[in-house]
Amino acid sequence: MTALLLAVFGLALIGWLAGHARALAFTASRGVLPRQQGWYVAVWTGLPALALLLCWAMMRPADEITLPAMLALLLALVGGGLAFARLRPGFAAGKRVERIVVAALFAASMVAIVTTAGILLSLLWEGGRFFAIVPAGEFLFGTHWSPQTIEGGDPTAGMGALPLFWGSFFIGAVIAMGVAVPLGLLSAIYLSHYAAPRTRRWAKPALEVLAGIPTVVYGYLAAVTVAPAIRDLGVALGIGAASSESALAAGLVMGVMIIPFVSSTADDALSAVPRTLAEASLALGATPSETVRHVLLPTALPGIAGGVLLAVSRAVGETMIVVMAASSVATISANPFAPATTVTRQIVDLLTGEATFDSAKTLAAFALGLVLFLLTLFLNFVALAAMRRRGAARA
Amino acid sequence: MRRHARRRRAAEHRFRLLGRAAVAVSIGCLLFLLGSMLVAGIGGIDGHFLRGTDATEATRAGIGAALRGSLMVLGLTLALALPVGVLAALYLEELAPRSAWATLIEGSINNLAAVPSIIFGLLGLLLFLGTMGLPRSAPLVGGLTLALMTMPVIVIAGRSAIRAVPGSIREAALAVGASRVQVTFHHVLPRAWPGILTGAIIGGSRALGETAPLLLIGMRAFIPAAPTGMTEPATVLPVQIFLWSDQIDRGFAEKTSAAIVVLLVLLFAMNGVAAWLRHRGEVRR
Repeated sequence: MTALLLAVFGLALIGWLAGHARALAFTASRGVLPRQQGWYVAVWTGLPALALLLCWAMMRPADEITLPAMLALLLALVGGGLAFARLRPGFAAGKRVERIVVAALFAASMVAIVTTAGILLSLLWEGGRFFAIVPAGEFLFGTHWSPQTIEGGDPTAGMGALPLFWGSFFIGAVIAMGVAVPLGLLSAIYLSHYAAPRTRRWAKPALEVLAGIPTVVYGYLAAVTVAPAIRDLGVALGIGAASSESALAAGLVMGVMIIPFVSSTADDALSAVPRTLAEASLALGATPSETVRHVLLPTALPGIAGGVLLAVSRAVGETMIVVMAASSVATISANPFAPATTVTRQIVDLLTGEATFDSAKTLAAFALGLVLFLLTLFLNFVALAAMRRRGAARA
Repeated sequence: MRRHARRRRAAEHRFRLLGRAAVAVSIGCLLFLLGSMLVAGIGGIDGHFLRGTDATEATRAGIGAALRGSLMVLGLTLALALPVGVLAALYLEELAPRSAWATLIEGSINNLAAVPSIIFGLLGLLLFLGTMGLPRSAPLVGGLTLALMTMPVIVIAGRSAIRAVPGSIREAALAVGASRVQVTFHHVLPRAWPGILTGAIIGGSRALGETAPLLLIGMRAFIPAAPTGMTEPATVLPVQIFLWSDQIDRGFAEKTSAAIVVLLVLLFAMNGVAAWLRHRGEVRR
């Protein structure tokens, strides 16, 4: 295969040289660069052959090689030859090559749409197959989740995902935000309005480092250091349900991870408030903290709220921390010391067992993925709308 | 009246202290995390650890195989995501007609950048393993999956780098008869390159630390040999950390922290290069 690719590229190179040499021979060719004529021949030599090879590789991976190899080389020779024959003095090769280049750029940008459509379609398809077995109402509002025990019996029993939604909400939107919103918002206010420029210069990047640490590291910290400490604290407080897989441990660590997201969006929102507003407030005798609380925060509120929603969507989609530190047992409890599980944790649990690919268990993972995808899509949409409203109010 | 003023001054003082405390707590968490990993793991790093492969005994286990797997996955990820991302960014900024279609492409890129990584794992599982029948746990599948995830990051960074190229450069080139494609490739791309590269490194460092999507495409088995090809079963550094963190044998605790230290050093090095590139770009402009 490698040799074949090399051969095609070699032919394209020969095509380029031939086209270039031929164009140099046209002395009276004005407005056309020999280079472009070379590219024209090279593109027509290489592209059809490569496209053929790509199609072949997609259809039947590498069991036969001679036939496609012959076809590809033939195509390269024919394409290159035809292109070479079209070269004339003044032939606008550049324009034609550019048209192909623009098409290639367009194709690259299409990858994003194809990926989005691929995610949506595959989740809808597999989710649809799941909902053919388990009624959607049962799945969305049922309170009993134990998919590991459905073998043989009724497949709809133990497929109520409400405890997972609750767990994701409780860990990601309540506990994690309880940590990240105050710390992130106050850090942003302090660094942008109080700190000396020197402090700001090192403290801001230091906060950003928190966002660059891999989630598996946070998960390890949560499981090994934070969770036992939380359990001991719970026992010391006399809480019977205190567990080493508590919602609190996962949520606290997740909150620390989210701090820089909240602080950087809050920083953007605060610095988008017109200077004149703050200056007017200060000139009327308000102290800096009164200015922040009564003028800056209310004006920046849509932007800050949007940033918090983005942070929630990130926390709800976070996987490794809850895989390593949360529980696999689904219960509904508002006790932060009690074990809790999440949607993402269950997706990993369902798909990493030794199940067949088509069982209700694996399909349930895709249904959970569909819910998660739609939820984060909705949160991002609302967040971006809120942040755009700030821009409108400013104008 | 004076009491009122004193109260206001006290409130001001409290607010400032509160802000300072928030910054201190946040950075304290960072220092605690880095410090505890360093203390627990630095003793476990030696030549054997860096070159070895996974083993059932903690004393013989090393991260050589995982490092190799990580490099293969990262290399494939960037080899796919960087060209596609750069071309898409160039198209959207320089050549796309303002149309509903361009808005749709933009929207889906911004949306993809915010999709949880585990969703990409589901897509990879279904598309690459289920439909195309590629082997489980292979660097090929890992690289493809992470490339889909990294591409939007590179597009977004690339677009802002391209937007920062002054319009006068485009106008000057157009005025002397360059075509739009020539302007894009001969003038805009070279000027935007440092910014694009910064974005690519940041996207790559995210891919290097990613775990969840790789678990879904089957990377969670015990693999005692370094991968020799793109379709061989392999493991990557974050997955190795995850697997070791589950071991009951106490000896693996030190190995886990040591692997975390190595991963963090790699990530900081990449981000350092990105920051240096960005700084150099700003100075030159």
